Amino acid sequence: MINQENIRNFSIIAHIDHGKSTLADRLLELCGTVEKRDMENQILDSMDLERERGITIKARAVRMEYKSPDGNEYVFNLIDTPGHVDFNYEVSRSLAACEGAVLVVDSTQGVESQTLANTYLAIEHDLEIVPVFNKTDLPNADPERCKKEVEAIIGLPAMDSPEISAKHGINVEQVIERIIRDIPAPSGDRTAPLKALIFDTQYESYRGVIVYIRVMDGSIRPGMTVRMMNTGAEYNVVETGYLAPRSMVPSPCLEAGEVGYFTASIKNVADTRVGDTVTGAANPAKEALQGYRAAQQMVFAGVYPLDGAKFADLRDALEKLKLNDASLSFEPETSVALGFGFRCGFLGLLHMEVIIERLEREFNMELITTMPSVIYHVVKTNGKMMVIDNPLNYPNPSEIEYCEEPFVEASILTPAEYVGNIMELCQDRRGELKGMDYLDADRVELKYELPLNEIIYDFFDALKSRTRGYASLNYELSGYRRSNLVKLDILLNGDLIDALSLIVHADKAYPRARRMAEKLKDNIPRQMFEIPVQAAIGGKIIARETIKAMRKDVLAKCYGGDITRKKKLLEKQKEGKKRMRSFGTVQVPQEAFMAVLKLDE
Amino acid sequence: MNKKLGIYVHIPFCRAKCSYCDFYSVTGSDNLFGAYSEALKTHIREAAEQLAECDVDTIYFGGGTPTHFGAKRLCAVLNEIAKRFYITEKAEITFEANPESLDGEDALRLRRAGFNRVSIGVQSNDNLTLRQLGRPHTWERAKRAVRACRDAGFQNLSIDLMYGLPGQTLKKWEASIADGIALEPEHISCYGLKLEEGTPLFERRAELELPDDDCQADMYAAAVERLDEEGYAQYEISNFARKGFASRHNMKYWTLGEYLGFGASAHSDLNGRRFACVKDVRQYIERIRSGEKVMTDLEFLPPQARAGEYIMLGLRTVRGISSAEFTSRYGEGFEKLRPYIRKLVSAGFAREVGERVRLTTKGFLVSNVIIGNLLDYL
Repeated sequence: MINQENIRNFSIIAHIDHGKSTLADRLLELCGTVEKRDMENQILDSMDLERERGITIKARAVRMEYKSPDGNEYVFNLIDTPGHVDFNYEVSRSLAACEGAVLVVDSTQGVESQTLANTYLAIEHDLEIVPVFNKTDLPNADPERCKKEVEAIIGLPAMDSPEISAKHGINVEQVIERIIRDIPAPSGDRTAPLKALIFDTQYESYRGVIVYIRVMDGSIRPGMTVRMMNTGAEYNVVETGYLAPRSMVPSPCLEAGEVGYFTASIKNVADTRVGDTVTGAANPAKEALQGYRAAQQMVFAGVYPLDGAKFADLRDALEKLKLNDASLSFEPETSVALGFGFRCGFLGLLHMEVIIERLEREFNMELITTMPSVIYHVVKTNGKMMVIDNPLNYPNPSEIEYCEEPFVEASILTPAEYVGNIMELCQDRRGELKGMDYLDADRVELKYELPLNEIIYDFFDALKSRTRGYASLNYELSGYRRSNLVKLDILLNGDLIDALSLIVHADKAYPRARRMAEKLKDNIPRQMFEIPVQAAIGGKIIARETIKAMRKDVLAKCYGGDITRKKKLLEKQKEGKKRMRSFGTVQVPQEAFMAVLKLDE
Repeated sequence: MNKKLGIYVHIPFCRAKCSYCDFYSVTGSDNLFGAYSEALKTHIREAAEQLAECDVDTIYFGGGTPTHFGAKRLCAVLNEIAKRFYITEKAEITFEANPESLDGEDALRLRRAGFNRVSIGVQSNDNLTLRQLGRPHTWERAKRAVRACRDAGFQNLSIDLMYGLPGQTLKKWEASIADGIALEPEHISCYGLKLEEGTPLFERRAELELPDDDCQADMYAAAVERLDEEGYAQYEISNFARKGFASRHNMKYWTLGEYLGFGASAHSDLNGRRFACVKDVRQYIERIRSGEKVMTDLEFLPPQARAGEYIMLGLRTVRGISSAEFTSRYGEGFEKLRPYIRKLVSAGFAREVGERVRLTTKGFLVSNVIIGNLLDYL
């Protein structure tokens, strides 16, 4: 049994690429948790996709044992947090499982938007923050300036903070000393009824859901019946244990202050929501821990199998992903154009991309996705409000009193020289400037109120390209505002293609309509008939292109009675058709949908 | 009455490989001529022994370049066929010729041996284009070859012309047709150039100034119109002839007639079976010599399974397809095509002639798509 005095639970927070995962690797090494020769780069990011994209999608946790030079033995639980704005809620739950946070600041960059956002989040959770300044080995490192920035902008004393190079393992033991010295030990009541916070879950086919918890009060042990206080689900605990980097180590129990996992043959990940409180069914805690909320999907899109016959496969694949990702939602929807598919809800566009990519990679699905949409509020003339996450459900304009769209408060940190470019971009995206602060002579924080639908597609990319990658973005939903929205429809050969409809601001409808029509024209192969491509609002055509009729596709010769060539050609043609969707008489390849989706590139 | 049979003999040798060609042929293997000739004769003899009696009413020597193989050898092979099979009195006996390998002496020899039809690969009236295509002859040489054939007494002469060639304009193509017509052949084939992957021309495609699809469609339509005016009636997508001179051998391919192929990579359709000989010329010779099987790609297709082929091949011809013919051969099914055919007719891609349906010029041009769609409905 470990004395709570000798436990430290912390996370590492940082702006993207400031060296969070590298520092984590060094800590693991120093604690002998992982031998150096076994180190794979960035052990915490275990999903291929995460490694490729350099981001953490799921929270991870790992336990380390450290023998300090003074002879004391400590247990460190490092809880890694997701590093993207789409996963804010997960970040907050991971932080709630900690007493402290190591704030990593890149000494060549200084404070960036996510440095700020994550620090504020940590402060909100009353975490003790240990700043460390990384990448001091680089020639352009300026730890002095960065320390001043941290003191000035965040208000944290930082002047005597460790200056380290996680990459080269320089001064990392100083970080450990600070963790021991500055981060408080947990102080739960081990005799109180069980209260444990779920900060992550993972589905395994033979053990069921593995629930990652931080025990706040009491203890949890195999054989005990536990209840999730928010979902009400009850299970009999099968196993409890600690989290080693690549395995799980069973332990007889987990007590207040400890971080670990339990399994209970849980088949449904939805029963064990991140943020929920685990308590004993026999002797329940009086109230749940603060801060639980159901995952909030911000972006919705239709996901359809390219091959209509694969609908059931897609459902199975989504169900499997959902086992591990309660923030994914999906329900069946039908499109005239695309047949049977699912309306999926995502935390953000990155989340959507990750899910689509996993469906394609891990489940070999070929998919067509529709334009992502946010949730609009439409108040009808009869006073009823509709919540619209799918343009298909958008009511007739004559029935609409007014519409509202979601807005976000965005904070953009940028070197001063790019302010003009950014303002241009934000204006173009219907943004409203709310404030501009010079953090120092060269660094500006711009605060904007922006419609969510203007930033979900490509805003971040546009921002990066206009600031040569220097600007950073953070945003949070701020509420709904009235807006002049219209539904833009696409007609091919006069037939409405419902899957291509989208809701846009009236001011954006014309340019968008033109580009969509152009893209479709360029990506739909010529067919036997001339095909008008039209974009319309209500019944009014606002853009038109024409796909000329194909005039030549003929095999000149069937030589010497060899008809195999012709047969092969027909087979190839048939294969090609499989990648097409027919809309009335028009065949549209998957690529055309993709092209429309990637309109803004 | 015996069953009618066409015989195809493949001569897979060329002096030079044309830059657009992806059919099977070899160059620089002239040392195999003797062995190949023997193999063909053996193959013919052995096949004849196994076959029930039939009336051979068409014979076609194609390639490759049959004339490069040598007139003497062609005659010897034809003699072997004549010895082993019953050839009908009015049989059509064709050989393909390239202008550079056909002189007056050859033509006379071939005519005397019994060949009565010649198909000359003229391709173009433009020497620069011919060179670009890797054709080892000129327009003047082609004219001479035609004259030699006439002098030798050939009264059924065909020329091949190509459109969609690099640098070719509609005007240049029309000139090619006019010059071709001036040679007064009984039969003209017009083939569109198709860039086939793996050919030298395909590799160079970036630097070629190829007419676009619209232009090629115009070229095709112009050819159909002009040839019709000049008395060459279209009878298949790429083939035109004066009355009575349509190639009876080629018509067998499109009307599901029976034919037996000899030689490397030669195809056959006989007794409900489609099959081919091994592709490689050395392997063919070796197998014939050692008595091994040369047949590959055997596919057994009972008549009722040929409905798709009937449509796919029938629609290449001007006679087109017929619901009565279809039903008597394959039973039910034609009605499933009706709605689509109706659409084709109303959009000008097809025409109804009595109870038959044929594609129009516009339809021929996109026949791959049309046939593919029809087969989907079947």
